[in-house]
Amino acid sequence: MDRLLVCVIFAVVLAMAAVLLLIGLIEAPPNAAGVAHDTVAAMQAGGDGALRLEAIGGFAFAFQSLVLLFAILLCVLSVKPTRRTPAFIGWMVFTYAVNMLVWQQMYFGHQTFLETGETGWFLGFPTATAWQVYGVWFAGVVLIAVYSAGFRRYILSGDDERCFEELLRESGELRD
Amino acid sequence: MEAFRQEIILGTIALYMALCVLIGLWSMGRTRNPGDFFIAGRSLGPIVISLAVFASTLSGFGFVGGPGLVYSIGVSSFWMVVISATAFGLGFFLVAKRIRMVAELRGCMSIPDVIAARYGSELARLLVAVTIVLGVLGYLATQILAMSVVMQAIFADTEMFADISLLSCVVLSSTVLVFYCVTGGVIASVYTDVLQGLVMMVAGFLILITAMQAFDGGLREASEIVLADDSESMMPFGAAGIVTSLGWFFIFGIGLAGQPHIVTKMMMNKNLADNRSILPLSLLGYIVSALLWISIGMVMRAVVVGGGAEPLSQPDDAASTFLAMFASPLLAGVVFAALFSAIMSTSDAFLNIGTAAIIHDIPRALRNRPVNNELFWARVVTVVLAVVAAGFALFSYYRDATLVALLGAFGWSTFAASLFPVLAIGLNWKRATTAGAVAAVTSALLINFVVQLAGVPLPWGISGGLAAFVTSLVLFFAVSFATPPPTLARDIDRMMEI
Repeated sequence: MDRLLVCVIFAVVLAMAAVLLLIGLIEAPPNAAGVAHDTVAAMQAGGDGALRLEAIGGFAFAFQSLVLLFAILLCVLSVKPTRRTPAFIGWMVFTYAVNMLVWQQMYFGHQTFLETGETGWFLGFPTATAWQVYGVWFAGVVLIAVYSAGFRRYILSGDDERCFEELLRESGELRD
Repeated sequence: MEAFRQEIILGTIALYMALCVLIGLWSMGRTRNPGDFFIAGRSLGPIVISLAVFASTLSGFGFVGGPGLVYSIGVSSFWMVVISATAFGLGFFLVAKRIRMVAELRGCMSIPDVIAARYGSELARLLVAVTIVLGVLGYLATQILAMSVVMQAIFADTEMFADISLLSCVVLSSTVLVFYCVTGGVIASVYTDVLQGLVMMVAGFLILITAMQAFDGGLREASEIVLADDSESMMPFGAAGIVTSLGWFFIFGIGLAGQPHIVTKMMMNKNLADNRSILPLSLLGYIVSALLWISIGMVMRAVVVGGGAEPLSQPDDAASTFLAMFASPLLAGVVFAALFSAIMSTSDAFLNIGTAAIIHDIPRALRNRPVNNELFWARVVTVVLAVVAAGFALFSYYRDATLVALLGAFGWSTFAASLFPVLAIGLNWKRATTAGAVAAVTSALLINFVVQLAGVPLPWGISGGLAAFVTSLVLFFAVSFATPPPTLARDIDRMMEI
């Protein structure tokens, strides 16, 4: 089971590397990583956002989707195979779905702003930025909730603790 | 009160420093052997560990460089902060349980110890130890320099100490740091982290309130001003662009589990089950403290582009200018104490892991036995390491910034690229081989070093750290699959089944 999972993780890593390589091969516009601000020294401006995203927006979206998948798959790998119950897998799928929802709302919200020049506001920030500021944090909190609330079920059960104590005792006896 | 502004700020900092010294003295009696000195005898409770984990994570960069980055490139740098929940979550899933188990099973005192136990390889131990020493020198030098420059700026506004030299500030600030690290080892380090973490949380919360009052319309008015000036800098990828932003997500989010100064703390808790509460508590502390990063940077960018203040001569002045404009003397004192807290809590962690690498790991890797009287030599090397780092800092400041910049390249991204695969994945995947680990660490070091030395510009704002991280992951898996399966030690094999 682990072998298949690790093969999938490796495939995701290779896909991330390929997407990054493709981005690197595309010719970058002059303001790809910002331009000097018109009037304020020591400050950068973003300039034409639409131009920056035109060539690589799709690749960047794919890269981040793969990174999120990579993180979730690693969490699955860290849990003992016998504890990867349908409920646990369900929680991991839910966590990935929440992360993807936040990511696509942020990305496409930004695109909509670039097309229309209009934005809504949420708690002090433009909507797309609010998805970043609050959404990314919240999406991570889901992962933490699974860890803390499911600690005894998925991470370390009472049986696990007893197994570890036995292992410690046996190792100590061997050393003695 | 305003008439005594500098005196109040200096008094607050002096009080904070005195408390650190007292904690050092108190810890001295509790440090009896190398295990106490390096990992606090695995005896710490969840609240202490939580505060130590987040205080070590948020360095002086978060209090000075962070607001400066928001000022200069807008929302791009938010990515380094908002990723924290995923970063801590992933770090605990992958590392917290197993590293604590290996530490107890094999009596490990450092990350290279854990690597040697996992892979059964002294070469892997040596490579990781050398990586840590290089990274520690760079990190420490920049932290000591930052601490001294801030201290000099504070003294410069007083009559009595207006002409104080940078050297005096280096000596003064480093002495307190070295004192408590030498006397109390990591026990002093984590208990000062508790004090430092609390100060940082108070400062973060108070600064958010102050920042929201800087404009009549609150944070939204600040955002509107920045948006009207340059819309991209207020959008999710900021002025630095989407690739730079996502690169930071990757390096800071995924890479946290490869930071030795953070994951070492995961070896110190008394009970394995405490991890369930340590994780949310660490995150809470980090989020409250990091509010300072976002709020100061946003307000200062809005104030300057809105014409409310002269442009800053350099972005890193954002925090001090904000405090001068908006904060009461007492709040400014608390924030400066928090800044020193952030710097010292990270520095003490680095001093500790650097000393462990030099005293404990490199001799074992080369001679297959430890040095005699490890505790004595640990104290000596802590002083030497701090002096060398302070020397680098001064050399960098007065002569040539290249040296520290080069060592600085061995910072967060190199640790992430070299240690994440080997440690975080290696502790969860039995098929990972020594050859895979060596390939990952070597490629990460080489790519970071070459990109930094040659100043290779990568397109679209792709950083050398991101390229190194992805490459080391590919090599770690590919080389592990291409080499024969390892034969794990029986106890490690059984531990990885739990």
